[in-house]
Amino acid sequence: MEFSVMMGILGEGFLLTAQIFVVTLVGSLPLGVVVALARMSRFKPLAWLAQLYISVLRGTPLMLQLMAIMFGPYYLLGLNMGSDWKFSACAIGFILNYAAYFAEIYRSGIQSIPRGQYEAAAVLGYSRAQTFMKIVLPQVIKRILPAMGNEVITLVKDTSLAFVLGIAEMFSAAKALAAREVSMLPYAIAALIYWVFCLLIEFILNRVEKKLDYYHD
Amino acid sequence: MTNANAPVVTLEHAKKAFGANEVLKDISLTVNRGDVLAIIGPSGGGKSTLLRCLTLLETLDAGDLSYGDLAVTRTSDAGRAVYGGKDVLAQAKTRFGLVFQNFNLFPHYTVLKNIADAPICVQKRPKDEVEAQARELLAKMGLAGKEDMVPCELSGGQQQRVAIARALALNPDVLFFDEPTSALDPELTRDVLQVIRDLAAERMTMVIVTHEMSFARDVADHLIFMDDGRVVEAGRAADVINNPAHERTRAFLSRYEQG
Repeated sequence: MEFSVMMGILGEGFLLTAQIFVVTLVGSLPLGVVVALARMSRFKPLAWLAQLYISVLRGTPLMLQLMAIMFGPYYLLGLNMGSDWKFSACAIGFILNYAAYFAEIYRSGIQSIPRGQYEAAAVLGYSRAQTFMKIVLPQVIKRILPAMGNEVITLVKDTSLAFVLGIAEMFSAAKALAAREVSMLPYAIAALIYWVFCLLIEFILNRVEKKLDYYHD
Repeated sequence: MTNANAPVVTLEHAKKAFGANEVLKDISLTVNRGDVLAIIGPSGGGKSTLLRCLTLLETLDAGDLSYGDLAVTRTSDAGRAVYGGKDVLAQAKTRFGLVFQNFNLFPHYTVLKNIADAPICVQKRPKDEVEAQARELLAKMGLAGKEDMVPCELSGGQQQRVAIARALALNPDVLFFDEPTSALDPELTRDVLQVIRDLAAERMTMVIVTHEMSFARDVADHLIFMDDGRVVEAGRAADVINNPAHERTRAFLSRYEQG
């Protein structure tokens, strides 16, 4: 097989990988906020529910969660979801799982903001929403950036778990190519592409960190 | 026209407990326009809690609090303090400012934004006017030219003066200080105290919780000595410090003189 053909197949796989990556972030970054706020709610049942959610999603393998969402509708409800369900199942699984991790990072950031910041804002007359958006959130973002970077980098590589749902993302493509060509080369190229993708993310995160480096507390 | 002797803050029979721990046991005080009131006393005597109740950071269990003609609380039939609605509390917050022991500036905002943001975003005043006022206040604090710095680039004394400017920018009727120099070394303390002296000379109404006895004597008109949740002694500042009438006040002040 020509190298260019192999690159074409891996490239198509990468497009799916990138799609899973983007869809997961778009869904889980905001969902994590909801879960974090629920987890910190003064309404105890809601806080417990959020804690249970986080515990289960972090305490079971993502691969198992993907399988459960993929086949749950059929085994539990007898529903036939059609051939495109695997993409939805994949997105739902990744979003639910990553939201749990993001929620805990958000919570750690929000709870690390000193009480005095809230009190100063209260005395100055800021509303609760203003206090959160203008005073707390910008400081939280700076504090959680390294931890968020960790998760986002992990997500790049976790996308390969979509393999178990029969989605032809880059790892699946590399595995198929390696078997057909009896060669390590597809794996090596895939590894390189994952790594370069992560380098790009690191570069962006460094830029953002530098931008927020104008103050410390 | 505002009456020169009109009360700016009135607190009557205030009570506050945390669980079984009664921190304020029937405290009353009045601060008139242009007065400087110092509150002294041992740690755990209720000074900070009193200030936090006055600035609505804590809620009173009982008592009547008003700012000028604005009643913040009323007393229920059961004798409990009932707070006014959101609009009352919002209005009350425009009438006082608080300077914290630890400054509590917003670290991600520049000095200018720390001062100007609340007047713009909370009081909805025009940006140009507010920023001009903020620059004026900074100059008055001896901090002209620091507008674009962030708090971490300033010394503690400078940060505290920014915090004072931030509180003043809302044009409060009264300014509360919670041990404003306790986090500062003596040299930085001097600058902050000088700023407060200047404000007193302009007849700014102030309530100052402090451990700086000579400062309290020089600057305050009135003084309250608090211990164990009660006002043990109150009077003209110089009189109380020079000739304390109560044994506990004497004991407290003598410990201070020994350092």
